[in-house]
Amino acid sequence: MADKTIRVATDVGGTFTDLVAFETDANGVARVITAKSDTTPPNFEQGVLNVLDKAGLDPSSVDFLAHGTTVVINALTERKGVKVGLITTEGFRDTLEIARGNRPDFFNLHYKKPEPFVPRYLRRELPGRMSYRGEEMTPLDLSGLQAILDDFRADGVEAVAISFLHSYANPQHEQAVLAEVKTLWPDVSAVASHQITREWREYERTNTAVLSAYVQPIAERYLSRLAGGLKDKGFDRNLYIMQSNCGVESLDVVTQVPITMVESGPASGFWGAAELGKLIGEPNVLALDIGGTTAKCSLIEDGQVKIMTDYWIERERTTAGYPIMVPVVDLVEIGNGGGSIAWVDDFGKLHVGPQSAGAAPGPAAYGRGGTSATTTDANLWLGRINHDYFCGGEVEADMASTETAITAVGEKLGVDAAEAARGIIRIANNNMVNALKLVSLNRGHDPRDFTLVAFGGGGAMHAVALAAELGVKKVVVPAAAAVFSAWGMMMSDLRRDYFVTRLADLKPGAAKGLETVFAETEDRARAQFDREGIDADQVKFLRYGKFRYQNQEHTTEVLLEDGVVTDERLAAIEAAFHETYEREYTYRLDAPVEMVGIHLVASAEVGKLTMARSEPTGTDVQVALKGQRSVDYALEGVHEADIYDGTKLEAGMTFSGPAVVEDPGTTTVIHPGNRVEVDGYGNLHIHLKA
Amino acid sequence: MARQAIDPITASVIQASLTAAADEMFAVLQRTAMSPIIYEVLDVGTGITDARGELVSSGAGIPTFVGVLDKAVKRIVELTGFDNIRDGDMFVTNDPYFGGVTHLNDVVIAQPVFADGELFAWTASIAHWNDIGGQTPGSMAVDVTEIYQEGLRLPAVRLFDGGEEVRSVFEIIAANSRLPDFVRGDLWAQVAASRKADARIRQLVESYGLGTCRSALDDLFAEGERRGLAGLAALPEGSYSIEEEQDDGALWKAIITVSPEKFLVDLRGNPGQRAAPYNTSRDGAIISAQMIFKALADPTLFANAGSFRPLEVITEPGTIFHAEGAAPHGYYFETRIRLYDMLWRCMAKALPERLPAGHFASICGTVIAGNHPDTGRRFTMVEPQMGGWGATAERDGLDAMYSCSHGETFNCPIEICEARYGLDVGYKKLNDSGEGKGRHSGGRGVSVSYKLRARAVLSAGYSRNRMPVWGSNGGGHGGTNGLSLVRADGVREDYSFASGVVVRPGDRILVQTGNGGGWGTPLD
Repeated sequence: MADKTIRVATDVGGTFTDLVAFETDANGVARVITAKSDTTPPNFEQGVLNVLDKAGLDPSSVDFLAHGTTVVINALTERKGVKVGLITTEGFRDTLEIARGNRPDFFNLHYKKPEPFVPRYLRRELPGRMSYRGEEMTPLDLSGLQAILDDFRADGVEAVAISFLHSYANPQHEQAVLAEVKTLWPDVSAVASHQITREWREYERTNTAVLSAYVQPIAERYLSRLAGGLKDKGFDRNLYIMQSNCGVESLDVVTQVPITMVESGPASGFWGAAELGKLIGEPNVLALDIGGTTAKCSLIEDGQVKIMTDYWIERERTTAGYPIMVPVVDLVEIGNGGGSIAWVDDFGKLHVGPQSAGAAPGPAAYGRGGTSATTTDANLWLGRINHDYFCGGEVEADMASTETAITAVGEKLGVDAAEAARGIIRIANNNMVNALKLVSLNRGHDPRDFTLVAFGGGGAMHAVALAAELGVKKVVVPAAAAVFSAWGMMMSDLRRDYFVTRLADLKPGAAKGLETVFAETEDRARAQFDREGIDADQVKFLRYGKFRYQNQEHTTEVLLEDGVVTDERLAAIEAAFHETYEREYTYRLDAPVEMVGIHLVASAEVGKLTMARSEPTGTDVQVALKGQRSVDYALEGVHEADIYDGTKLEAGMTFSGPAVVEDPGTTTVIHPGNRVEVDGYGNLHIHLKA
Repeated sequence: MARQAIDPITASVIQASLTAAADEMFAVLQRTAMSPIIYEVLDVGTGITDARGELVSSGAGIPTFVGVLDKAVKRIVELTGFDNIRDGDMFVTNDPYFGGVTHLNDVVIAQPVFADGELFAWTASIAHWNDIGGQTPGSMAVDVTEIYQEGLRLPAVRLFDGGEEVRSVFEIIAANSRLPDFVRGDLWAQVAASRKADARIRQLVESYGLGTCRSALDDLFAEGERRGLAGLAALPEGSYSIEEEQDDGALWKAIITVSPEKFLVDLRGNPGQRAAPYNTSRDGAIISAQMIFKALADPTLFANAGSFRPLEVITEPGTIFHAEGAAPHGYYFETRIRLYDMLWRCMAKALPERLPAGHFASICGTVIAGNHPDTGRRFTMVEPQMGGWGATAERDGLDAMYSCSHGETFNCPIEICEARYGLDVGYKKLNDSGEGKGRHSGGRGVSVSYKLRARAVLSAGYSRNRMPVWGSNGGGHGGTNGLSLVRADGVREDYSFASGVVVRPGDRILVQTGNGGGWGTPLD
């Protein structure tokens, strides 16, 4: 074992490739290195090697490397995937196009239905039918497959998706088709729906298989080049890829089903929030990540993130979007970030977002030709962001452009620039409050019982105002909030979420069936870990049951205590369901309870970072005080605020609001009456007025 | 009532929160309901009104339910007396003669929201219950002559009285349904939805004060009206009329008069009400007019009482658009959608660039009730069908969408359908009939086959069964909708409206919905 351990997280974004590294010595003291370089499409691995180089890190000395990438989500939203052919059950090739038939923009007679990713001529059928109980009703007939594949080849298909009815209950037909495709056309990329999910709903499952096939060759190319590039430079450890379920996954597994990376960006931040909560003794966390174009939030209860498979892309209030049935951290995302544009509609109403000025031209203050007022411009105008220390001092704020942009908004509203800027902040805050309510109040959680952890470039600027509105008592702004997602990646476990649909009445005699499905799935998980050299005793399981009242559809997830499920335990499980249900929906029913399926979490630690805690030095907080400036707190008026240099704050320091803490990547706005303390890890704990 | 001057930002914040509350009600209903028609098809509506029943905001769901809840609350207030409504009350109505607007299956639950001891708002939801009694499973018989045959009537009565459950009403409801567990579950789901929104609204009033919140509502209504009037101003003034023959040979008519302040829909002179379930209340006819007005003037999701102020509807009592006495309403929705479609056609003739050609324009409600062959449990499948939408001046019509009366309505997945009802779906595919030709083609309808594994009873309501979908601006007409029963021995029976049809194991129910109409003369 070397005297130091180097852990690296790299994150490939649309514009920049970021790196955060922790170099920990034998005493657990860590040196943090951050670096940034340009993203280098289409040879993304080059950007990763560049950023390692820029950080002065030799790949051969790196012990643990986690990697996050937007390659999958970008390929989907930019429609840069490959041509896919779909093979499905006879009579159902139109499932993908019929979709669910809904029209969310319901007064609009000109609604446009999202187009399927596979056109009709590339959707082909084979005879063969399973029942909902997984029994074969019609045998599979593969005799037509060769002709289908010939057509696909002639039409330039690069990936084949396979999805058959009831494959969640019995995947044999899909397996047989997949095997035959691989025999007849070994070079083609192919995926069957059961490899990704074992849950029912054929449109969702089929679309998931199609989208996975659509990105598979691209992701495969990307990952193999990355691994190859790192290996050439001497990196000889496992490369871990960030997943949407807050875990990391081995390269081999991700390469087979890359669609699981789809929401990996936000997932690492939320996992970071959960880990931070455990570190500082706050297991109940409302996590808020405000970036340039969106704000995302998620709720962590008792240290656990909530993982669901009800994930959609491009779904808005006015459009149906596309489902992807993979385990994704339960989050709400709204089009409100630092770059979100403020606009006044024809009827005099102020809106913020979802349109964003992005990185180019960016907010008016960037001085790159942006003429729209953004949330960032409003924050600058109100003195919340220091215009002499804009973007950590890297950009000179063009306050004249900001003034012009905000004044224009004010004129449409009939108010002055300051009032308009306050309006922009209030509208943006309200949008975010409503998003936070969706993940808390809406699901039966009282936000007053939670600590708000705010990160991303803009989280700390808005967090206190949001907390006050929600009745949250404490806000925590993590050290290095701007690169918090990368920190979360380094705290992630190798984690797999298994969702299996299996109907069972919760009545005496049912325990055996329940235990069987859990045990089978655990065996599957252990076998997979074993193939990667991880011993069975290192794998930890969490067993969740998905329950409902008989005849309902939607389920409520309940965490089961460890140990074998027995008939004696059923009553306690049922009681736990009633309780969870009533908390969320205000009532319980005297009706039979049934299980619809299970959710098994299997995880193993792989080189997780251990944080060292500093003791207070007793240094006076005055050393960090830079001065005072006038800050407009919107509803709370204008105050002279103390301005602190975040890089000089140390463990044990305390101070009070009104104040602003300035870090190179983050500005924390502390309201009048707030009390702040710095903990042993450099996090700011902001206590709101009681 | 005290009003306070309000700044536009505070107004926006309060208004956005009220919309969020209505959305939240919708989410609760979706997650907790017992009946697939609620949780999957989402045949539900949620909304918030002011103290007097003026619509403030509505959640997702079905657009034709948006205009129901305000009318229901107004009737509840009228029947109860404003001063007799107490904190903790909750009301239930399903009767078109008592504010229910639609038919007995659609049950409205409304809860008054009190803040500072004053009635400030109502939270209300409407949902289609599987079975509310009456002469046929699913409660939608075609051979009825009076509303009494259609099921239990709940005439805007209290479900909760000052916070206490009125047990007798709960018991009466359960005793009158063939599916008491379902109605109990659905009822509580609606109660939960109301309670969620109630808590949100109380919190809002606590934060901003009653006067400010009331001002925010006034401001909201004013905006709705401004939006409606602005849209109206963009329509050419004039009087437009239409006469249209229906499947049953009846001639319907309407005159729409557009002026700068008013969108007037005159429905006088239409056929008399029938001793059959095809009547609608006047409120139902108003909703058809609201739908076309909204589609033309302000087709956004923004809708409140103000949005519809420029609209006036004239109906004639005793006609199918203004039923009275004990006329039945079971299939009111086919009459209402036929009316919406006719008003749409009327305006499309005048403004072909502004509106798509006709769509399949029927709910195509399909009800199969029986006992599950594997579990023996009783079930009622209630499903609308998707069909083709009309082409527009810019593009082909949409394939396989629910009707214009629907919105956030989802089809039931085949995998769930087979598990839940124990029947086999043979195919579900887009039509290849080619109807709806034009410069732009109409969208495709669907064909579905259900094969029964156990005895069941079928009810169905498919209009546009004889008269095909209309094309626009020279485009060809689309298809027709219908349902056939192919018996195990091969004998075929065709249906448009039916109830109580016994279906046996091995019989197949074949659904066919029409393509949308074409737009413009074909180019070739």
